[in-house]
Order: sequence, then structure tokens, then C-alpha cells
Amino acid sequence: MSTDHTVVDGAGHRPAPFRPDLYAGAAFVVLGLAFAIGGSRYDVGSALRMGSGYVPLALGGLLVVLGLLVVAMGFRGGDPSIRDVQREPIPWRRGGLLVAAIMFFGFFVSGLGLGPTLFVTTFIAAMAGHGTSPLKAALTAAGITALCLVVFVALLQLRLPLLGDWLGG
Amino acid sequence: MDGILLGLETALQPTNILICLLGVTLGTAVGVLPGIGPTATVALLLPITFEFDPVASLIMLAGIYYGAQYGGSTTAILLNLPGESSSVVTALDGHQMARQGRAGPALATAALGSFFAGTVGTIVLALFAPPLAQLALKFGPADYFAIVVLGLIASIALASGSAVKALAMIVLGLLLGTIGQDQFTGVPRFTFGVRELYGGLDFVSLAVGLFGLAEIIRNLETKNSSSIVTKKVEGLWLSKDDFRRIRNPVLRGTALGSVLGVLPGGGHVLASFTSYSVEKNLSKEPKKFGTGVIEGVAAPESANNAAAQTSFIPLLSLGLPAHPVMALLVGAFIIQGITPGPNVINDEPELVWGLIASMWVGNLLLVALNLPLIGIWVKMLSVPYEVMFPAIIAFASIGCYSLGLNSWDVFAIAAAGVVGYFLIRWGCEAAPLLLGFVLGPLLEENLRRAMIISRGDPTVFLTRPISASLLILAALIIIIAVLPSVRRKREVVFQGEDD
Amino acid sequence: MHRRIPLATLACLSMFTLAACGGGEADPAAFPDDDITLVVPFAAGGPTDTVTRLIAEPMAEELGAEIIVQNVEGAGGTVAAGQVADADPDGYEVLIHHIGMSTAPGLYPDLAYDPLEDFKTVGLVTDVPMTIVARKDFEPETLEELATYVEENADTVTLANAGVGAASQLCGLLIEQQLGVDLTEVPYDGTGPALTDLVGGQVDFMCDQTTNTAAQIQSGDIKAYAVTTPEPIEALPDLPTTAEEGWSDVEVGVWHGLYVPSETPDEVVEKLTAALEVALQDQNVIDSMADLGTTPAPADDVTPDAHTAKLQEQIDLWTPIIEESGVTGG
Repeated sequence: MSTDHTVVDGAGHRPAPFRPDLYAGAAFVVLGLAFAIGGSRYDVGSALRMGSGYVPLALGGLLVVLGLLVVAMGFRGGDPSIRDVQREPIPWRRGGLLVAAIMFFGFFVSGLGLGPTLFVTTFIAAMAGHGTSPLKAALTAAGITALCLVVFVALLQLRLPLLGDWLGG
Repeated sequence: MDGILLGLETALQPTNILICLLGVTLGTAVGVLPGIGPTATVALLLPITFEFDPVASLIMLAGIYYGAQYGGSTTAILLNLPGESSSVVTALDGHQMARQGRAGPALATAALGSFFAGTVGTIVLALFAPPLAQLALKFGPADYFAIVVLGLIASIALASGSAVKALAMIVLGLLLGTIGQDQFTGVPRFTFGVRELYGGLDFVSLAVGLFGLAEIIRNLETKNSSSIVTKKVEGLWLSKDDFRRIRNPVLRGTALGSVLGVLPGGGHVLASFTSYSVEKNLSKEPKKFGTGVIEGVAAPESANNAAAQTSFIPLLSLGLPAHPVMALLVGAFIIQGITPGPNVINDEPELVWGLIASMWVGNLLLVALNLPLIGIWVKMLSVPYEVMFPAIIAFASIGCYSLGLNSWDVFAIAAAGVVGYFLIRWGCEAAPLLLGFVLGPLLEENLRRAMIISRGDPTVFLTRPISASLLILAALIIIIAVLPSVRRKREVVFQGEDD
Repeated sequence: MHRRIPLATLACLSMFTLAACGGGEADPAAFPDDDITLVVPFAAGGPTDTVTRLIAEPMAEELGAEIIVQNVEGAGGTVAAGQVADADPDGYEVLIHHIGMSTAPGLYPDLAYDPLEDFKTVGLVTDVPMTIVARKDFEPETLEELATYVEENADTVTLANAGVGAASQLCGLLIEQQLGVDLTEVPYDGTGPALTDLVGGQVDFMCDQTTNTAAQIQSGDIKAYAVTTPEPIEALPDLPTTAEEGWSDVEVGVWHGLYVPSETPDEVVEKLTAALEVALQDQNVIDSMADLGTTPAPADDVTPDAHTAKLQEQIDLWTPIIEESGVTGG
């Protein structure tokens, strides 16, 4: 069985709330509140001259209402389109590696240059694969880096520096 | 019709055909890179065209534009990485088809549907440009607001699951669209002092994160996929049944795209997903949309291409650019010493008609160029997944970064990917969010503008005939869409209580 | 200004080039021995971009180096200006900016750079005239009638502009000042949509650059009242000037100039100024600008001194007007 799915509550005849709907609804409520509160700090204005906050406040409020509807749906049997779908465990480590790879690229590409940044980025990303050894990841990273350099630098002539300022490139 | 003949005469000169081919090839090659959509491709390659004389340079630009659009659809279908709002819709069913080993038919449908729509669009452009331009002018801010509302409501159909969740995702997209500088007052909203966010979140980052990255994370949940394709590749070409199934969606998509493309600002964005919604609602099996049905590729691709063609109408008959690519073309015209304005079609008939005709020639070349490539693209999909996904990450990062040299655009991929992963897990789909994001600024701008012009009188939306009829249509759709899901839920609850 | 799908673009080409040449110290005497990036603070295809691309080619020819045009949009052009202010002061990254350079201090209280202190001026490029135009069925026929009409109908007349800090908004401020009324402003995301709604009759009038309005005026899709320069312009010879019609306060042009970071060696600036001067005498540039209703800056203005004087004068002019109007760029 899936991890998020709660089995029918034995005590009563009501099914227990369907967790994915609670999470989704809660996310909408929180985001809606954030935009609504943020929006109310800007000038809201009037209907004639709507200020910067008018639309975020109104839409944020609407999102809160929709979020509550989604929560209610969770208490009333859950979203039929995903209720019976089996959910695998969340791949925290693999997902984390991918996010780390992309963040690395964003932080370091201007400093280290395209070559080294790409290699590290693809190496970290490749490590997220099932059963990928560090050696295999390094080979994959080297291949992809070479390919990207050929495509973007050689073929498209984008003249990306292979090494950045920090490496004296 | 004389114009078209003059145009064909120009476009079919051997050198111009060659230049068009060059443009189409370059456009496809750059547009196929993940994270680089048509607008970016055109902007990127614009300077190359300055080397040629005016006619040749504009023909090349048109070639690049269509090539890039096709390249973008290819990436959307193969890798689930849409580079522009229009290909978001193509990705929905196109990528599912690719996973089921039907990338060949999906790509062929995109090529053929686009070609057909492009041909019709060219004819519409040649015959009806002046009256359609007048239609575009009739659209005031209130009408614009109404059509965006209608489009957003129709986009609920993009989701295959819960309508309430789809609506919530649209609203979330609209809210994300408010990030950045408010153009009415100049106040930066939700930017937390980060100047790079003044221009708003980048669409490509959001799309690559929500679609591409979120899906990679999802695929890594289990070990079983050795490549993107999960089933045996069935063949590269359309079957007789496929042809029968795409016929009507292509026709309807073309008609819808031809009309919507004329609207300045967001017409071409509305075209692709409105046509998808129409097909889904007309289909006998609406539930299958999103799981890889060929109609879901045929309709938006046709609509998008027809709209791309007719969006030249405001530019050529009024001198007013309808969207960013058109604005780039205006620049190209001026650099070539031609002032695009209401008279350009009379002053430079050879050039304008040559451009129109070469758009058609470009579409033809595109089909000729891409159909043989389908085999290669499909082979590419059999690359082992543990090599494929790091490559996607690398290409997407370079693509998003290179457009604005803005690290925030790269961080946005990661953020959108994580959020997207969880939302999809919880049954909320990304496509409505992206469309809300694209249309959000249009919605807000036109709402505020309409209210200013009407001196704060909200009845303006109901007293203008265009706006009123569009809003009534939107209300009808929402009633039809929401009611059954409420009823279904009731039934579920009752069943639960019967146990 | 609020564009979602970035037109951005030649960016990859240019910034990376810079990074590539950023390593060693540049020798001013050898300038230019590498590609030069010309940063445009607005979208590709817009009027400023067009002016830039027109002069880029003859300048590149004169300098004997490639010039790459890079569009860096955002925050009324202050993102681009900030980028060039921080660039290596070697002349390989040049900013073109318009009147917005002088209005930024008024619009953006937390501006990260000082237009006068952080840049060296290279020279003025062109001064694009503006026109006061209206939808073709708008009642007033002359500027005088417009003044009376606006005063009588101050609460129903709508004045369109292309967004916060746009030249059209600035011109609108001058009109309001001249007439002593507060009009209902309708902002658009750029000139294109604003002009579309003007042609379509959704808004009443606006004031915008000839680069945008000349074609529609000539075709009769909109009507024009006056041009905002001291002299009538060649493209629209019959159009009176604002001064002739008694609107002496409304005199404004969208002047463009080139800038480099303040530490750039004078030798390099001289070379850029000389190249600009040659480019502005290029027949193709003169002809293309004439089509747009403007002319290259006269030779006297293509100097750092004339440019600095203009910048100073404009900052002094606009800062109080903007502060008084309460407009802010954030």
C-alpha cells in the first residue's frame, strides 16, 4: 500500500481524511494567505484606481477558499483521480542531489566558468541515479560536459568561457 | 490574390529558398535545445539576418521563427521540456505518447498539423487581413479581460483530475504572475529586495522545473525505467486510424488559431490551450486526454501554427506588433530601412508578400526537413535514463541561464521542481498553473485598465457586447465543469456511508 | 518592462565574451582588440534597440571590432545601467541609455548607482522628438481646442502611456503641469499595446516618440496636434511645435547617449566618441533616422562635455517634477 494513504478508520463509518488532499489544501491555504497578507501591505486602492495590492489580495483570498475546498474534499473521501493510485516513497536523497546540482550551477557558473561547473553539476545529478557508482557518474558527467561544450561553444559559437574569473580563464 | 502570386515569385527564387532552408535549419537546431523557446531563438539569431538584403533577411527570420517553434515542440514531446507557453499543451499528451513508444506519430502529427494550419493561416492572411485587423481593434481592455477569464476557465480542462485543484493551480499561477514590478505604479511586489526579480519569474525556468525536473524526481522514485520509453517503439509514422483521428482536431485547431492569433498581446497563447480544451470537451473519451492521445497533440499544434501566421495581421495591416516575436520583426524591418506601418503592404508589396509566401515555404521545408529526422529523435530516447536525466539537467541549466545570465532563473528551476513534484504527488497538475502564470499579467492589467477607463464602474464588463458574451460563456463552462465533480463527490461520500 | 518570456538574448554571446577577456589587464592603446558589448536597457525591437543597432554597425566598422548588442531589460533600464556601472572599466562594455538615465534618480530612491558619478559620458546619439496624438475621432482638432476640452472634461479624458518612467509618461506629466489638471492616466506595458488601443479608440490621447507614431499619423489612423521640439520636424512638416501653440512647458525629446564605467581610461573614451561621430555621419544612419522622424545628434553634441551638461540639466529638470507627481519606480 502507499505510504500517504490512510486506511479506513475502524471506529466509525466515516473514512479517515485522505492525506494528499490535506497537504495540497494546506499548501494552497498557506500560499494564498502569504500572497493576501503580502498584498495587503502594498497599496490596495479602490476599484477605480486599483493599487498594487488589490489583485494579489483578492486572488490570495480566493486561493485560501479553494484550499479549504480541497481540504474538505480530503474529508469527504478524497480526490477520486489519485485516491487509488499507488504512491512510492519520496526519493529525498535523489531529489536533494538534483536540487543541489542545479543550485551549484546557479551559484558557480559565473565564477568557475562553464567547463568545471557543468562537470560538477552533472556529476552530482548523475549520482542521483539508481545504482550509479561514482566512477560511472564521473564518466557520464565528462561525456555530457563534452557534449554541451561542443553544442553550445563549438557549434552554436556562443563563446562561453570554459574557465571563469576565479580560475584565471 | 495577386499579392500571394507576387509573394510566391519572390519566395521561390532559388536563393530565397536556400535562405529559408538555412533559417529553418538554424531555428530547429537552436529551438530544440531545452530551455530555449522560439522567442529566445529568434532574438538569439536575429543579428545573423542583418547580413542579408531586406527580403532575404526577413525570409530567414521567418524561417528561424517556424524552425524554432517546431524545435520547441520536439523537445516538449521528447523530453517534457516546454520552451514556450504554446508547447506546454503539446507536452501534455505528446510526451506521454513518447513514453509509450509513439514519439514518431506524435512528431509527425505536430509536423503535419503545423503544415496544414500554416497553409490555411497563410490563405487567411492573404484574403482577410484588413477585416481581421479591424476585429483586433474592437477589443478594448474590458473585452481582453473577459477573453482571458474565458481562457483560464477553459484551461481547467487541461487537468485530467479534480476541477477544484485545477482552479486552485490556476489561481496560484496568477499569483506567481504578480511577482515583479507592478507596471501601473512601479512598486516591486514580492521581490524581497532582489532586483533580478523585478522583471518577474522566468517562464522557462518555471516550465522546466514544473515539468522537466519534477518528472525526473518522480521517475527516480522507482528503479524500473531504463530509458524514457517504457513500451516498445511501435513505428514512426501515422497509422490510418491516426489520420482519421487527427483530421477534425486539426481543422478545428486551425480555425480557432486563425481567429485568436489576430488578438494583440495574448492571442497566440490562448490559441493552443483553448483548442485542447475544445477537443477534450468534444471527445467521447475525455478521460484519456493527458495519457497520450494523438488528438491532444494535433489540435494545439495546429492552433498554435495558425495563430503564428495570423498574428502577422496586426503588424502588416496596422504596423502594430502583436507579440514579442513581432516586435523583433519590427526592429528587423527598421534596420533594413523599412518603416513598418499601415502602408507597408502598399509601399513594399514584394517584401511583405514575399515574407508571407516564404512563411508557407518555410513550413513546407520544415516538414521535409523534420520527417526524416524523426527516426533519429526517437533513437535518442533509448539513451539509458541514468545518462539522460543528468543531460537534461545540464541542458536546462545552461538554457535558462544563458537567456538572462541571471542565476535566479537557475534557482527558480530547482524551486519550481520541488514544488511541482509535491503538487503533482498530491494530484495537482502543473499545466493550469503555467497558463495562469502566463495570462496573469494580462488579466490584471486589463482589469485595472478597464476599471480606470470606465471610471470604476464594474458594469462595463457586462455592457460591452464582446465582453458580456465572453463572460457568459465562461460562466456556462464553469457550471458545466464544476457541477459533475461536486455530484461525483457526493456519490462517493454516500457510498462511503453505505459501507 | 514586465515581460515574462525574456527577449533577452544576445546575452550568452556577450557576457561570456567579457568574462573571457576579463582575465588580463586591457591595454588602452590597443583598444579595441576584442568584441565590444553594447548594452541596451530595453527589449529588442523597441525604439532604443533600433537606434542602437543602426549605429552599432558603422561604429564597429570604424573601430575595427565587432559590436554585440545585448538587451538587458528591467526596472526602467536601471538593471542594465547597474550592470555597466559595475563592469570592468576597459571600454568593452558600453551602455546606451535614453532620457531614463536622468529620471532614474527621481523614480528610484534606492538607485544602486549615480548617473553622474559612476559613468563617463561618450556623447549624445540622437534626440527623438515626441508628438501629442489622439484617437482619430477625438473631438478637439488643435492643441488649443485640446486644452479647452481637457479642462472642461478633466474627469472623463483618458491619457495613455507606456508604463512607469516611460517617455510617454514623462511627457504626460509635462502636459498635466502645463494645463494644471490631474488627468486619468492609463498605463500600458509598452508603446505597442498603448498605440493599439489609441488606434482602436479605447483611450483618448497620448504623447509618444515619432519613432512609434509617425507611420500611424501619416496613414491617418491617429491625429496629431503638435511635436514637442523647438523646431518642426522633417518627417511631419505640417505639424506645429508645442511652443508655437503656446505650450512652452511641454518641450521634451527622448535623447540617447552612450556611457562607460567611470574608471575607463580617457584614451578609450576618445576612441569611442570618434567612432560614434563617424557613425552618425553615415548616410544609412541619417536616412533610417529620418524615416523614424529623428536626426543624428549634431557634431557639437557628440562629445563627453555636451553629453554631461545635458545629463546634468535633465536630472535637475526631472527630479522635482517626478517628486511632485508622486510617481515612483519602486
